Amino acid sequence: MISAFCDWLVATSISRTFQEWTWFVPLVQTVHILSISVVLTLVAMTDLKMLGVRVGSQPLSEMVSHSMPWVWTALLLLLTTGILLTITEPARELLNSVFRVKMLMVLALVGALKIIQSGLRDQPDYWSLSPRRRLAGRAVGAASLILGVCIVVAGRWIAYV
Amino acid sequence: MTVIEACDWLQNLTFPTLIRESDWLFPTIESVHVLALVLVVGSISMVDLRLLGLANRSRPVAQVMAQALPWTWSAFVVAAVAGSLLFSSKAVTYYADVPFRIKMFCLVLAGINMAYFHRFTHRRLGPSDLGAPPAAAKIAGGISLLLWIVIVGAGRWIGFTT
Repeated sequence: MISAFCDWLVATSISRTFQEWTWFVPLVQTVHILSISVVLTLVAMTDLKMLGVRVGSQPLSEMVSHSMPWVWTALLLLLTTGILLTITEPARELLNSVFRVKMLMVLALVGALKIIQSGLRDQPDYWSLSPRRRLAGRAVGAASLILGVCIVVAGRWIAYV
Repeated sequence: MTVIEACDWLQNLTFPTLIRESDWLFPTIESVHVLALVLVVGSISMVDLRLLGLANRSRPVAQVMAQALPWTWSAFVVAAVAGSLLFSSKAVTYYADVPFRIKMFCLVLAGINMAYFHRFTHRRLGPSDLGAPPAAAKIAGGISLLLWIVIVGAGRWIGFTT
């Protein structure tokens, strides 16, 4: 069924137009990578801070409240450029198992970021209030860091499987 | 020995040959390269955007630089090592590739821009300067941001021409 959807999508006039523009895929991929650089850098800095590594002089809550608007905007740009790339080459993404795993990891990362952010919304020291919180914070931070790295690696491997 | 001959010699060394002939080595090294380069671009653009007065305006430039630049430098070393390995596997092809040359040229320009900024412009910024920095700092930030965008674009373009 997904295969039939790919056959239909790849034959639509919008997909064919994108396919004809040889500059389209590299250009959209460039915007995609630039957006990843915003997300991964800010997420990795936040995660390491949650893991207890010294990153800059800002408190965690301040770093998160400054970073998150950039992260969500970049994620929206990633979704948009990702959809454009999928319209241009549907089978490359939708029939690819690495792509599917990547999408699941993206959802998990969004969940982890929501958890980090919602804890801090009302209490700036939410993740350091008790040893248990600190442990939970470290777990979420580590999970989000590992997810971020795996998403980037999976993204590159889509081209090879 | 011409440059082409040097490239040919390089790509026929043991490890470059191994990278070229292996199914998984190139994508693996490339993944490391991408991971490192997104951290380079992400961290340096924090500084660039601060210099342009477009982000982190409530923090002194020095504070943003102290947070971001250690990431830039350590990730740059990783990206450069991984990138050199990728280059070595198909040196003759890459050397002749136009996007590759554009990328290297822009990297050199970014280096010069940064060296100039640190040597001359940086000292005009106080340790606790807030708000918009002087014009020279804005220009340095703008040039850097633009060059890194071109570097990423040219880098991606290499994959379509080689």
